[in-house]
Amino acid sequence: MSLELKIQSLKLNEGENPVRKKAIIVAVAGNPNSGKSTLINAIAGTRLQVGNWPGVTVEKKTAVFEYEGRKIKLVDLPGTYSLSPYTQEEIIARDYLVHEKPDVIIDVVDATNLERNLYLTIQLLELGIPVVIALNIYDEAMKKGYKIDIKAMEKMLGVRVIPTIATKKSGLKELLKAITEIVDNPAIHIPKRLHYEEDFELAAASVESYIKTTYPHLAEKYPLRWFSFKLLEGDQHVLQEINLSENETFIKDIREHLKRSHGDDIESLMADERYAQASGLTHEVLKKPETRKIEMTEKIDRIVLNRFFGIPIFLAAMWLVFKLTFDVSGPFADWLDAMITGPFKRWAETILGFIHAPEWTVSLATDGIIAGVGFVIVFVPVIFAMMFFITFLEGSGYMARAAFVMDRLMHAIGLHGKSFIPMLLGFGCNVPAIYATRVLENPRDKALTALLIPLMSCGARLPVYVVFVGAFFPHNAGTVIWSLYVMGISLAILMGVIFKKTLFKGEAPVFIMELPPYRMPYFRSLMIHTWEKGKHFLIKAGTYILAVSIIVWFLLNLPWGVENKRDSYLGKMGQVIAPVLEPLGFGKWEAASSLVAGLIAKEIVVGTMGEIYVPKLEDKKEEKPSLTEDLKEIGTSLVSAAKDSIANIFSTFGIASLSSEESPEMKEERESLRNVIRKQFTPLTAYAFMSFVLLYMPCVVAAIALRQEFGTWKWYGIAFVYQMALAWIVAFMIYQGGKIIGLG
Amino acid sequence: MNLSMLKPGEAGKITSISAIGPLKRRLMDMGVLVGEIVKVEKVAPLGDPIEVTIKNYNLSLRKKEAEGIEVEVVK
Ligand SMILES: Nc1nc2c(ncn2[C@@H]2O[C@H](COP(=O)(O)OP(=O)(O)OP(=O)(O)O)[C@@H](O)[C@H]2O)c(=O)[nH]1
Ligand SMILES: [Mg+2]
Repeated sequence: MSLELKIQSLKLNEGENPVRKKAIIVAVAGNPNSGKSTLINAIAGTRLQVGNWPGVTVEKKTAVFEYEGRKIKLVDLPGTYSLSPYTQEEIIARDYLVHEKPDVIIDVVDATNLERNLYLTIQLLELGIPVVIALNIYDEAMKKGYKIDIKAMEKMLGVRVIPTIATKKSGLKELLKAITEIVDNPAIHIPKRLHYEEDFELAAASVESYIKTTYPHLAEKYPLRWFSFKLLEGDQHVLQEINLSENETFIKDIREHLKRSHGDDIESLMADERYAQASGLTHEVLKKPETRKIEMTEKIDRIVLNRFFGIPIFLAAMWLVFKLTFDVSGPFADWLDAMITGPFKRWAETILGFIHAPEWTVSLATDGIIAGVGFVIVFVPVIFAMMFFITFLEGSGYMARAAFVMDRLMHAIGLHGKSFIPMLLGFGCNVPAIYATRVLENPRDKALTALLIPLMSCGARLPVYVVFVGAFFPHNAGTVIWSLYVMGISLAILMGVIFKKTLFKGEAPVFIMELPPYRMPYFRSLMIHTWEKGKHFLIKAGTYILAVSIIVWFLLNLPWGVENKRDSYLGKMGQVIAPVLEPLGFGKWEAASSLVAGLIAKEIVVGTMGEIYVPKLEDKKEEKPSLTEDLKEIGTSLVSAAKDSIANIFSTFGIASLSSEESPEMKEERESLRNVIRKQFTPLTAYAFMSFVLLYMPCVVAAIALRQEFGTWKWYGIAFVYQMALAWIVAFMIYQGGKIIGLG
Repeated sequence: MNLSMLKPGEAGKITSISAIGPLKRRLMDMGVLVGEIVKVEKVAPLGDPIEVTIKNYNLSLRKKEAEGIEVEVVK
């Protein structure tokens, strides 16, 4: 056996660079919320790397580090209650364990909830891979007065059991030591074979021997005991994988035999068996105090989930999250924006001027590349802030409550209670909102939520409304803008119902969710996680956005030297598209070109209109500040951004990003734009145009977020098509309907 | 009598689970097994889903799912 294991571990490292030390692969498995991520963070700290599992969008976290001269690689498996093949997480976890055959499994067990956690442990033991149990959240178990007999537990399971408190980094050394001991001496650390009921054991044994003789390659590929039980259970995932049918005689015969004496549902029987083991073990090793205290979680839930207060509290919490996400990050985003379009751009111009670069390269570098970089970077604060708060909500246990409170409402449009938060964030910015869909476990819920998010009118659409409403509805500005938000929400409900009946027909996801105890999230974990996500966005999304921004620069400025924007490529595109917009009331190349440019971000629609409609004011003579002045400016404005950000936390009115102050020049520019627009649009076509801007295609950053979250362009494609259609139809109905009732 | 009919504060012993397929498997993995005692803790403010305790932890599920879980009331 020992030899076998060694061979196994040799095989494992094939393909790795032979010069480098072979890493000990340690998979970290456990129930959701048992503290896996916290444990990994505590051990590996900033060496954590966040990526995705291949082909799916479930996060994969790994960390490589040295311990006593050995290289150890930790792999954070998704939290699962079981190794059944029903949720994406479960499939990932088990495929990894079965096919990648890690050297050791750390099974993170929540000491406050032994029985349900041990149910998974028992399944892990079937795999025959050495297991170490990290008996985590030990502090809370102690506080509850639980007495856990560790020695007895070790003896009964045949594995090491190490009490840990991941948040306080206690027990980690012992855990690592146990791992190295196991790797040094795998033979004495083979987990016990727990005995299920005799009939099952006999059946499994006969399947095992049959496989060994008939399918030796399978016997090598799979952990035999586990594999045999899966065949007995009729596990579809495994059967498919090995291309066997449930009706294969040898499986069928044994299953029939079991069914005759035990009833039809072998899968349930096995679950019963395993739970019986888990509960037997728990009774042996766990002593609970006679009287149970009323716990903190219960007290909080009495208020937070109260019939009357539940919803107001939820709404208040959401308002806070929304405000914190966008208001705290807002000033930093503005600061970054000002830095990039100000000093940074100036320096680039100076340097390029110094080396006598041709004018078009200067324009490309500053208006194309630097502006594009700026575009990516201004998103960073908000992504960071969103990740921080979402991780906080999840880690604290409130996310599950939010879902509980909102599920009824969201379920009506085919969504999950947890969809509410991403949808809400969508009003600030669709991009972090799409990333926030990761709180949804079910791929269907996730996709449906992400498809509807772009209908939430984001902050970037507001500048468009502001210009048009100012020009045409100065006396009803609030009502008109409000009506657009309501239109977005109503259409999201409508589309939700339509998608539920078409695209997602037949899949009815269930809502069976644990409400975990409230816990204070571990600040360091939060930071590490937030940082990793932000970095990911910067690198991945950054490249795409930059590319698109350069393309738009080309469209706007080529052929080089165009005097009239009408002759630029963008203008030409506008002329081609304009007739399509004719029935909507704004079939002019100017409007069409602006809409095309809005692909980058909807607020650019206004900027482009400005460039097209309003003849360029004489280039103001800028006195260029010196380098030291620039640097000083960067510093002081950062400080004031930080101040604003903190002030925003405490300010109670409105959304800061919406009421940002404007310079007199900007006001003036906007007025002159409004004057032109008044000539080009009527109130009716203006409203149709605003509706179109609200609804048409998600911006490129949202597109990239969709691509990144789902790993394919499919959902962006669907969003693009349905939104274009929706925008056209709605604007058409508004314009034509308005004409009929005599508004045009 | 099924689980969705219990009021907050009432408890029942599970007598059968009529769900099939993935739903049943999911319930079993979460410890919802025949013979187990479930207690209804709360109903969500909008009337659905419900929160129950089972095996010493809190679980929430929609009424529709609870309908498939037969119970007999225990005191
Ligand atoms: N008191 C206490 N809290 C802990 C301990 N370990 C983790 N926590 C907290 O438990 C919560 C969940 O921890 P996570 O590390 O996110 O759990 P996880 O297993 O990664 O969860 P999933 O990724 O959802 O499967 C967080 O709020 C942690 O701060 C511990 O030893 N003691
Ligand atoms: Mg985790």
